[in-house]
Amino acid sequence: MKKTSILKWVAVAAAGAIAAGCASYPDEATTRQAAEKMVYDAFAFSPAHKGRLDQDRSQQICSKIGDAKLTQAEAAEIVKLARASIQYPASGKLYGDWKVGDQLAHDGAGDRIRNGKTENRKENGGLCQNCHALAPGEINVGNVGPSLTGYGKQRGNSEAVVKYTYEKIYNAWAYFPCSNMPRLGTTKHLTPEQITHLVAYLIDPQSPINK
Amino acid sequence: MVNVRGIRFTACVSLCLALTLPASATAQGDLSVGRKMLMEDNPGELWVDQGKSLFYQKRGPKNVSLEQCDFGMGPGKLVGAAARLPRYFADTDRVEDLETRLLTCMTRLQGFDRDQLMKQAISAPASKGSDIEALALYITSRSNGMKVNVRLSHQKEYDMYKAGEYLFYRRSGQTDFGCVQCHGEPNQRIRLQDLIHMTSKAGAQEVSSTWPAYRGSHFVVRTMQWRLNDCVWQMRLPDLKYATDYSIALTTYLNRQGNDAVIQVPGFKR
Repeated sequence: MKKTSILKWVAVAAAGAIAAGCASYPDEATTRQAAEKMVYDAFAFSPAHKGRLDQDRSQQICSKIGDAKLTQAEAAEIVKLARASIQYPASGKLYGDWKVGDQLAHDGAGDRIRNGKTENRKENGGLCQNCHALAPGEINVGNVGPSLTGYGKQRGNSEAVVKYTYEKIYNAWAYFPCSNMPRLGTTKHLTPEQITHLVAYLIDPQSPINK
Repeated sequence: MVNVRGIRFTACVSLCLALTLPASATAQGDLSVGRKMLMEDNPGELWVDQGKSLFYQKRGPKNVSLEQCDFGMGPGKLVGAAARLPRYFADTDRVEDLETRLLTCMTRLQGFDRDQLMKQAISAPASKGSDIEALALYITSRSNGMKVNVRLSHQKEYDMYKAGEYLFYRRSGQTDFGCVQCHGEPNQRIRLQDLIHMTSKAGAQEVSSTWPAYRGSHFVVRTMQWRLNDCVWQMRLPDLKYATDYSIALTTYLNRQGNDAVIQVPGFKR
């Protein structure tokens, strides 16, 4: 008897809420659908630039809202996708010219779009300086990523370190799923050859970063 | 005019001072001193008067002022109106931020061409600025000293807020960036530029209460729409159109996160 009357009240309250058009937060699927539409409505893009808006599987997984954590299965999938994406230079040499790498590390430009046109440059910058401390004493460096000062001094220049460093720059998510670091090789912001120069800049004992 | 130049010159000198601080200076400490110096003489004030006269002047093909524009508190009622934006407007059946609402009124009341307004909305650096920039600043200044108070009551406001949250965390493009990659931790910088920690209450409040702002390096007043534009450019996304739901969603999310901040515009940005 009591149960019936509670149910009755719940039914009446629910009907009232619907009648009053009681507004509330939409569910996740509704939000996703609406927000994804907003993205494609908001940007003026050519077919060539549509890929900048499309999320690949890894980006989808790495767009967790708030403090939501990756599941173990998701992390494993990210690592698997990252590993599969890594390509090595045709020469097989992962260690380039640290002087070229030094320039690249301090170049924060490339790949930006204005009025439908991509920046007109011979090659993209490495963007490192935006987020990482580099050579000792450099002031104009960011701190979103960890300091790279003394990178090679601390780690040496074994083959394993060279390979790890190359892969880390090519696709950081192979080692740190969903980290803030762009997957510079995988997104094609940098070429494999450019990455070999950054590897040398980080590791070479002659590089200013290890002085 | 002479006056304008004088103030711009002052800003320029201050800027140079900020840039010639000792090389050993740490970013957080001494740069903020430079920024504080700049703030004490904010040239953005000039745009407030300009916006006020634009608001009350009879303009556009229909030759009327904006006094009949309803920013949510009733026609022509500006005090506290910006503090509540973005919000739902029944006449457009849309959630609008300040700039979108201005577009609505300048189109419907004054008869201006919407596309033309959007094309001119974000001015060139060192120009005298756009009408929308000046109007947005004047209207927001009428909420100075009041608290940001973005409420969710209409279903479309709830939808917009949640979409903004989703977009804040959405990663895509060459850099794999969403907003949170740069704005999710305290005390971070891109090179020497401080990044606002927007997932904290204080950071969101800085966002919600300081736009439009005078941008020292551009010598013009900038709006929130411009800010988002510049962010997505650095994120390597394509050209962001003016006054889209994408921008309104992010602004709804950030302003609501920044509720209770005391509005003080024009803000001052580097």
